[in-house]
Amino acid sequence: MHEIGVLFEIVKTVESFAKENQVEEIETLILQIGELSSMVPHYMETLYEGAVEGSVLEGSSLQIEIIKANARCRDCGKVFPLVENKGICTNCGGEHVELLSGKEFYIKEIVCY
Amino acid sequence: MREFKILEIKQGVFDDNNKQADGLREDLKKRGTFLLNLMSSPGSGKTTTLVKTIRALKETVKIGVMEADIDSDVDAVTIGQEDVKVIQLHTGGMCHLDAEMTRQGLHGLGMDDLDLVILENVGNLVCPAEFDTGSSKNAMILSVPEGDDKPLKYPLMFSIVDVLLINKIDVLPYFDFDVDACIERAKKCNPNIKVILCSARNGEGIEEFADWIKTEVATWKKEQ
Repeated sequence: MHEIGVLFEIVKTVESFAKENQVEEIETLILQIGELSSMVPHYMETLYEGAVEGSVLEGSSLQIEIIKANARCRDCGKVFPLVENKGICTNCGGEHVELLSGKEFYIKEIVCY
Repeated sequence: MREFKILEIKQGVFDDNNKQADGLREDLKKRGTFLLNLMSSPGSGKTTTLVKTIRALKETVKIGVMEADIDSDVDAVTIGQEDVKVIQLHTGGMCHLDAEMTRQGLHGLGMDDLDLVILENVGNLVCPAEFDTGSSKNAMILSVPEGDDKPLKYPLMFSIVDVLLINKIDVLPYFDFDVDACIERAKKCNPNIKVILCSARNGEGIEEFADWIKTEVATWKKEQ
């Protein structure tokens, strides 16, 4: 249950943000999770309600945006989606790639009143 | 319909903790206290390794120990018999320790006269890797019965540690544990990782680990 500790960390961050910005009620929390991040969105969703209980996020809904893992081939320069191609360049078949995105884990924004 | 607004936060989830960890590291540097974060899965021999390491060090280095667990104080009791300063931290169900909890622990322990504080983190190879505690250096223990494939399964943990102790090497003849393959896998995650083969049970390799700690503590104080 790796996700629950991380959710508590998110609650802390949002609480201090809400305090600074005089937000009293939050409708939706939007997270961005990279495809290669170690977070499992499904677990985050399942645990969310319990994790935010008693905080400013209580009663809010969670929305998760997945960020694709894209890579650039070091041999030919082609940019391609990493996961479905198993790390192999779709242009030249090379395996030397530079990761461009996919490890992100951000609190993007909140929808609030 | 009520009016609503969208506020952009755009903050990395670990940013807050990372900031606190950096602050703690700076404070520790000013004091000249070296904090070692020791991680592993449950049952790898962390406490036994720690006891042996303390015995190798305590004549020359003033040591404090923080035992982090979800519950109980069995580890603190064991370490307490070694005549070093020890505190038991309860994470209250959490699977890891963050920088703020570490700071509170250090405060509770009192570190005015200490050269070295060893934090025995919660037994877990996942979450402790993601939360920087503010430690000066990180070490982990992987024991032979756990298998040589662990760097493949927990790459983040292996990528953030400075030292890997491969423990329980006295039982190597009874397990299909390929030491070379394990080291190669660990180095793939982290080319700079230092690997020490040890057995906390018979004491093999403990001196090498203690020497590494001594050198690191001295360097930490020199940079003060």
